[in-house]
Amino acid sequence: MPPAGIWIDGLIQSCAYMTMAFGMVLVFSILGILNWTHGQFYMLGAFVVYYAITAVGIPFPLGLLAAGVLVAGLSILVKKIIIDHITGDLYVGVATMGLIFFFEGAASMIFGMQDKGLARVLPGVVDLGSFSVSYQKIAVVSFTLVIMIILFIMLNFTRIGLAIRATAQQPDAASLYGVSVERLSLTVMGIGCGLAAMAGGIIAPLYTINPFIGGIPMIMSLLAIVIGGLGSLTGAIVGGLILGFLNSVVAYHLSYLSEVVLFMLVVIILLVRPQGLFGASVK
Amino acid sequence: MLELKNLWVRYGKKAAVRRLSLSVNKGDFVTILGANGAGKSTTLNAISGLVKVKKGQGEIVFKGEKINGLKPGKIAARGLIQIPEGRKLFPLLTVKENLMMGAYLRKDRKGVQHSMDRALTLFPDLKDKLNADGRELSGGQQQMLAIARGLMAEPELLMLDEPSLGLSPLLRQLLAERIKEIHREGVTLILVEQNARLGLMLASYGYVLENGELALQGKTSDLMLDENVKKAYLGV
Ligand SMILES: Nc1ncnc2c1ncn2[C@@H]1O[C@H](COP(=O)(O)OP(=O)(O)OP(=O)(O)O)[C@@H](O)[C@H]1O
Ligand SMILES: [Mg+2]
Repeated sequence: MPPAGIWIDGLIQSCAYMTMAFGMVLVFSILGILNWTHGQFYMLGAFVVYYAITAVGIPFPLGLLAAGVLVAGLSILVKKIIIDHITGDLYVGVATMGLIFFFEGAASMIFGMQDKGLARVLPGVVDLGSFSVSYQKIAVVSFTLVIMIILFIMLNFTRIGLAIRATAQQPDAASLYGVSVERLSLTVMGIGCGLAAMAGGIIAPLYTINPFIGGIPMIMSLLAIVIGGLGSLTGAIVGGLILGFLNSVVAYHLSYLSEVVLFMLVVIILLVRPQGLFGASVK
Repeated sequence: MLELKNLWVRYGKKAAVRRLSLSVNKGDFVTILGANGAGKSTTLNAISGLVKVKKGQGEIVFKGEKINGLKPGKIAARGLIQIPEGRKLFPLLTVKENLMMGAYLRKDRKGVQHSMDRALTLFPDLKDKLNADGRELSGGQQQMLAIARGLMAEPELLMLDEPSLGLSPLLRQLLAERIKEIHREGVTLILVEQNARLGLMLASYGYVLENGELALQGKTSDLMLDENVKKAYLGV
């Protein structure tokens, strides 16, 4: 067995992947596109938190909120200025891929390319006998749980949640009965990309920050929703957990070979269940 | 109540509906007949705002106001409701949630509850299935749910696009009874049918579309006796 710390690291990574993946699932369900810039929104979220704390001096939770709100606004601009003017899922995909370089380049120019780190935002540890867990890590897990609960309640018990599920399943009928699909798309884009930013922000104090940190979480959360089932939030949870633990626990044993294991697992799951583990519509 | 004036609807360059004019008065029961691809669904979708009618391509007037150009939700909010071809239920929403989606625009809780009771009285089969997912219903039940969902929107004018599609003769009979009942309760109806016999039997006035154009119109009692209609649509 790997030491407890490795499992906890796996859980922390899972949390970031899951929060990112929720956003991708929501955006995919309503807009029908994979947003390839999701990873850069994650990176921008980390920077917002970094500067909120170091330059502006506001508390961590407020910085996190600011990351979500600012990036949500940015993503709505991206949708209005770029995505809405391009037809065809393939071309939209290519355009959002192009934005990867735009945001990474812009971040390099504005923030610089060197690594930054946030020291001890939430200092202290909880001693659990044979090992201890920092408050920072507990915050990541609690935050992710809260996000899950909020999303669950929103989707299942609110009017907008009903509209989101209905539109994901049958957009024509939803609009016939009064859902403004255009407005809903904007809202969902904001929520989805805001979640990516908060995923980056919540784990920012644990890792180094630079303009290129978005790539790996993007790939991992994409794989998570592909094996979980495009469109399924439960699938995103399971997929996120599998990948987070693979990345830490298997890596502990196999080092770089773990990535081979990871991709083999993805291929096997898709061969057995091409629709992913949990099928294909928001539920 | 509803008037189409010289309407053209195009998909790209191809015109699917050409110079179509028709009118429906309050309380009418009108049927639109035509073969596959005649432009019936296109007409309904243009009325509902799902398909855009471009500038200068005719007018759609509902209750005295021009509605072409409005979003589907705005049109639905005025009481002009479509029950689309192929049911278009929300497969992973429960029956109850499907019904609630029909009432999505309504704020009056009491009124919504009243509509729900009324819909379930009309289609009692749905009562035991309220918590089942839409996709778990039989074909007949799905069609009933599609109609019940439409009624939840409190329609003044209800357009049904081929509700009999895929139903057994027995279920078709039941459906016909229910549609008559909805009309008796005061809802103005437009029934689109490929099954001309059903459309002519239920409605009092009919329009026949051929290749996107109006080929014939008249009282259904007259259309039933028309030689061309008999040959082309009734198979006699
Ligand atoms: N979304 C679309 N894009 C392009 N062409 C379309 C589209 N929808 C319908 N058409 C074309 O427009 C014409 C009319 O189609 P429409 O669906 O209105 O016919 P319909 O009378 O409802 O037929 P059916 O009885 O088979 O439902 C057809 O030639 C069809 O191929
Ligand atoms: Mg049709």
